[in-house]
Amino acid sequence: MNNKLYILFGSIAASALMSGCVSRGNNPGWEYAPDMYYSKGYEAYNQGDSNLVNPYGMNMREPVAGTVAVGKLDYKYNLENTGDGYEASANLTAPAEATLEDGRGQYMYNIYCTPCHGSTGNNDGEVFKKVTTLKPAWKGYSDEYIKTLPEGKIYHTLTYGKNNMGSHASVLSPKDRWKVIKYVKYLSSQGTSTASATVSSDSTMAKTN
Amino acid sequence: MFPNMIARNMKVWMLSAVMALSVSSYAQDKPNAENGKKLYDANNCGSCHALDKKLVGPALRGVETRHSTEWLVKWVRNNEKFRKVDKDPDAIALYNDNGQAAMNIFENLTPANVIDIIEYIKTAPAPVKAATVVVDSGSQKEDNTTMYILILLVAIFSVVLLVLARVQNTLKRVAAEKHPEDFEHHNAPKKGFFEKILPGKWGKMNPVVLTLFSIAIVGGFAAYYGYGFAITEVGVQKGYAPKQPIAFSHKLHAGDLKLDCKYCHSTVEESKQASIPALNTCMNCHKGVQLTDKYNGEISPEIKKIYAALDYNPEGKAGEQYGSNPKPIRWVRIHNLPDHAYFNHSQHVKVGKQTCQTCHGAIEKMEVVQQKNSLQMGWCIDCHRNAQVDVANNNYYKALHEKAKKDIANNQGKSKYFSADGKVKLTPAMNGGLECSKCHY
Repeated sequence: MNNKLYILFGSIAASALMSGCVSRGNNPGWEYAPDMYYSKGYEAYNQGDSNLVNPYGMNMREPVAGTVAVGKLDYKYNLENTGDGYEASANLTAPAEATLEDGRGQYMYNIYCTPCHGSTGNNDGEVFKKVTTLKPAWKGYSDEYIKTLPEGKIYHTLTYGKNNMGSHASVLSPKDRWKVIKYVKYLSSQGTSTASATVSSDSTMAKTN
Repeated sequence: MFPNMIARNMKVWMLSAVMALSVSSYAQDKPNAENGKKLYDANNCGSCHALDKKLVGPALRGVETRHSTEWLVKWVRNNEKFRKVDKDPDAIALYNDNGQAAMNIFENLTPANVIDIIEYIKTAPAPVKAATVVVDSGSQKEDNTTMYILILLVAIFSVVLLVLARVQNTLKRVAAEKHPEDFEHHNAPKKGFFEKILPGKWGKMNPVVLTLFSIAIVGGFAAYYGYGFAITEVGVQKGYAPKQPIAFSHKLHAGDLKLDCKYCHSTVEESKQASIPALNTCMNCHKGVQLTDKYNGEISPEIKKIYAALDYNPEGKAGEQYGSNPKPIRWVRIHNLPDHAYFNHSQHVKVGKQTCQTCHGAIEKMEVVQQKNSLQMGWCIDCHRNAQVDVANNNYYKALHEKAKKDIANNQGKSKYFSADGKVKLTPAMNGGLECSKCHY
């Protein structure tokens, strides 16, 4: 009798012990050798202890002010996020390499703009459908407001955000921003039957300041 | 009498006519709040203004007390001209006070329209606060009290059990001393453990041999199942679905709202990591989306966490930047390869053209993200052996593509690049995808 009880309780204890190391819910389970899983060196998304050196205990740091990462040299934008900066941005024109041909503008537009502005720019994206109060005063890209809006002002808006729209500078590189603008203007011109898509390839990057 | 009556009736008629006229003219002059509301909605005033809350522009309730009607008409219809040509000091001050976020020009509205809108703002009912919904924050916390009580009970009962066992033993000893004849079988020679559990002559074998034999059997089973368990469970985090500091729902954002994964994980095509978005990315929408209608006028508690982390003041001025006391959010990492294995997202997404779901499962259906695959080496290798790579216009696979073309031209159907079903199949394994040093170095 006693022996059977030992075996019963033993197996219950063993299975409880075993199930404790199976990962589910909040429990990541057991690991053989944690020091082989977690890098001692700093890695971007290392789930380790708080970093003792960097601000806020993060492993990642912001680039030092005024430096440019390797391969990230891009157009410099000098205008500031003020009303005057917005007005001045009207004088900017797209660089020559910003064209529709490589499809990059459309690709990036479909990722970063469609959630709100919709795939054809009618302000009918899923977010605007759900939260109608976020919609801007203009109806869509076919609106005269967007048709006559200088490309430079759109660039300023993409860089700093405007009204309910946030800054997209961290996700769209300056080159991509210009390509997206070209695609926005293309959609805008598609809004009416008369206009045809014209992409000026001879325009040059304006010098501001 | 008769003409007199006519005259009197005439008077009455004229009086009513005058009244009717005056009423109708009054109706024309009187601002129409209903029309104002229609115009307010049609021109999307609500995208920048609310009645009782600052959004991009200031809260509108009481605007008629802050400025004169003529001033408001001028401002609404063309604030730019008002500021720049008329150089109205109040207009310039208002512009600067609101972070120089210029209001749109509404010359489509007539002065009467603007007055209607002001009337709507004046007469709009104040918000009625519904009965406060008490959100029980206590239930959100992890509660360990039950477990502590259980442990305490187990401890108490174990002590009671021990005491009772001692009492029983003592009673037995006392009883045996009094009536030894009742306890004779206690004095009989003791049977060994194996004699008790094994029948007949098996139990009489050498206990050492029997012990070793049983250890071999039990140990064999334990080793077999233990090995299987260790290899499939220990260090494998399939099924891990930790609670995150903000209850972000991928089902809502990636599923219902159909946000592209790359909207937030924007570096997945360029970097080793598919970036965890900076909170600034959340703010692209959540500066405006606060779900106040669902939380009785309050900002959603989860969205408040974003604001707290950024030290952002939702009541502050338009265009105001985040505060100087941010507290970055410590998200819990789910998919974690050991440090000794190298994995690069851009390589798989950009070059290999794999979807996110190939490895992460149907994230767009997950309320809480769960690790769907084991991320074991065998799982990697399976895919490297079997995945069909799109080699066209793919510089990384150019050499393999050329080699395969040549081989097929030479060997026709017998080429090794044909798979069992007779189709050309080029896999990562053929391009060195099984070499140890590709991932371990």
